[in-house]
Amino acid sequence: MAPALANFARVIRAPLAAILLTLALGFLLVASITDEPVRAYRDLLLANFDSLSNFALFLNRATPLTLIALGVVFSFRAGIFNVGGEGQLYAGAVTATVVAIAGASLPAFVLMPLAILAGLLAGAVVGWIPGVLKVRLAVDEVVTTLMLNIIILLITSWLANQVIRDTTAYGAVSWMVPSSIWLPPLPFVPRATSGFLVAVVLAIVSWLVLFRTQWGAEVRAAGTNLRFAEATGVPAARRVISAMVIAGGLAGLAGALYVLGVGHRFEQNFSPSYGLVGLTCALLARVHPIGSLATALFYAMMLNGAAYMQISTDVPRSLVNLLTGLLVLLMTARLRRAAQAT
Amino acid sequence: MNLTSLLAAVLEQSTPILLAALAAMITLRANILNVAVEGMMLAAAFAAIAVGNWSGSAWPAFLSALVVAVVLSQLLALLTLRFFADFIVAGLGINLLAAGGTLFILERHYNSPGGLRPIAFPDIWHVPAGSLSWLPLLGPAFEGQSIIVLIALVAVPLTYVFLYKTPLGASLRAAGEDEHAARSAGIRIAAMKALSLAMSGLLAGLAGAQLAMDKLHFFLPDMTSGRGFIGLAATLFGGGQPWMTAAASFLFGFFGALGDRLQVFAIPSQFVLMLPYLAAIIGLTFARWRILVRNRPARIQDNFQ
Repeated sequence: MAPALANFARVIRAPLAAILLTLALGFLLVASITDEPVRAYRDLLLANFDSLSNFALFLNRATPLTLIALGVVFSFRAGIFNVGGEGQLYAGAVTATVVAIAGASLPAFVLMPLAILAGLLAGAVVGWIPGVLKVRLAVDEVVTTLMLNIIILLITSWLANQVIRDTTAYGAVSWMVPSSIWLPPLPFVPRATSGFLVAVVLAIVSWLVLFRTQWGAEVRAAGTNLRFAEATGVPAARRVISAMVIAGGLAGLAGALYVLGVGHRFEQNFSPSYGLVGLTCALLARVHPIGSLATALFYAMMLNGAAYMQISTDVPRSLVNLLTGLLVLLMTARLRRAAQAT
Repeated sequence: MNLTSLLAAVLEQSTPILLAALAAMITLRANILNVAVEGMMLAAAFAAIAVGNWSGSAWPAFLSALVVAVVLSQLLALLTLRFFADFIVAGLGINLLAAGGTLFILERHYNSPGGLRPIAFPDIWHVPAGSLSWLPLLGPAFEGQSIIVLIALVAVPLTYVFLYKTPLGASLRAAGEDEHAARSAGIRIAAMKALSLAMSGLLAGLAGAQLAMDKLHFFLPDMTSGRGFIGLAATLFGGGQPWMTAAASFLFGFFGALGDRLQVFAIPSQFVLMLPYLAAIIGLTFARWRILVRNRPARIQDNFQ
């Protein structure tokens, strides 16, 4: 038991330190602009637990972040610098919506899995493209994932404005998906999506797959040194591609679950750059699945808490955007040149 | 469609893209994929409007845009070169910091999260109307363009001369191509990379100033709308060469100008806007594929099929 506990402490130590540093920096900033920094910080961190409905919103926020962060974990463990979470998320969300609207006449027990699967597959395809280009042609994956993000956001903007646009609503939003396929709420927490359970289960499954299976070991070997892994008989290229497919699939699933569980329709601006924040969560957690769940929960707390803080004090909610920028900027900085953290 | 007005629109649309592309190119030659151009542009645009609003004259606004972008570039240089932060992560951090920081100041100081619209804003120097009428076709297209458009056009040969005809440019390229070889030749790698980032900041600052100061005279939180990334795409499509990068920028600017006018053909504007990014992916893929085919030994080719 003791070694397991020590191992756990080792896993959470680094993300904890980064989070505490950010919070300290943020506190200095808040203290310089408001008379009640303690009140502002209490709301930023704890207002999420003031009521059951606040808590539900917190879980809803944590769900896509966790899933995207898990996707980032798979791709980074395979040595792919995947910054395409946003595009994969949008591909999943819009595809699930299109399937749900087009198949509205199908019975719910067919349509619901169909819509979720479609979203997952759409994300997976978007992850597959940079994976294949990287492994087969050595095309830089940062470029392809960045460019794909914008391409997919333009496609969804076209779909949301011209094809599945709810003409009675304001802004670029789609028609509602049939209410028969909405995800049921979490037991005991009304208005919280049961997608959160999926995210928690997948975090544990991801850890098992990456660290307790032959396949996971091969993915990590390919990520550490592709050519060495190939030379020792690991089908490294294929492992890298499938890790990218899983990464895209997880982000796509995040989009599909958001549509069926929270939004109930596709909105062009539903994501406050979940893709980048998910990447931040994963990197903060030193690309560890369980750690990513913890950092995603922390970030969901901050994102929602900022709104409560803005209501009760005069600190603008964009404080969190500013803190995120600082955190991402400082996140990978080291005092001494070190080997790759992964 | 009037040819002169199309030319003028292409020039106007291409200028921020061209400057962003040159900003990304100069770091690419030092082996840095600069994803922070977008954030530097945004911060520069904000600085231009804020300082112009405060001081009421154009030159302080213009200079502060350049200074802010260069300072951000040196912050990135400090974190990546001195504290060994990852270039991509820290670059994305610069973008988030620029977006979050400008929004924070808008909400906190100006109390208007939607943007900053000064009632009166000083004009930067524009080519006077009628001054170039002796030049057929091109002359009228240049009339009314800001001085930054002219600077951008001059910047293309300047970067070419700097990179290929000066010892400093050669050192910069050497640092980008082979760090170990360059270091043993006595080149200071970190200084070269910091220099390329500073030049990149200067160019990105020009791009941000053009966006804010040319015609609009206001700042919006999403004002750059991906132009930094289009510039990155143009650089990659142009293979990091000044002339090809400029050509790609004008091509993308042309598509942008055309995008507004293509409604006639019932093509959704999103598909036109997508072209630069598609071109970058396809261009890179094609370039890698050609290298792969060229380097493949002829005799063992069959084993790979």
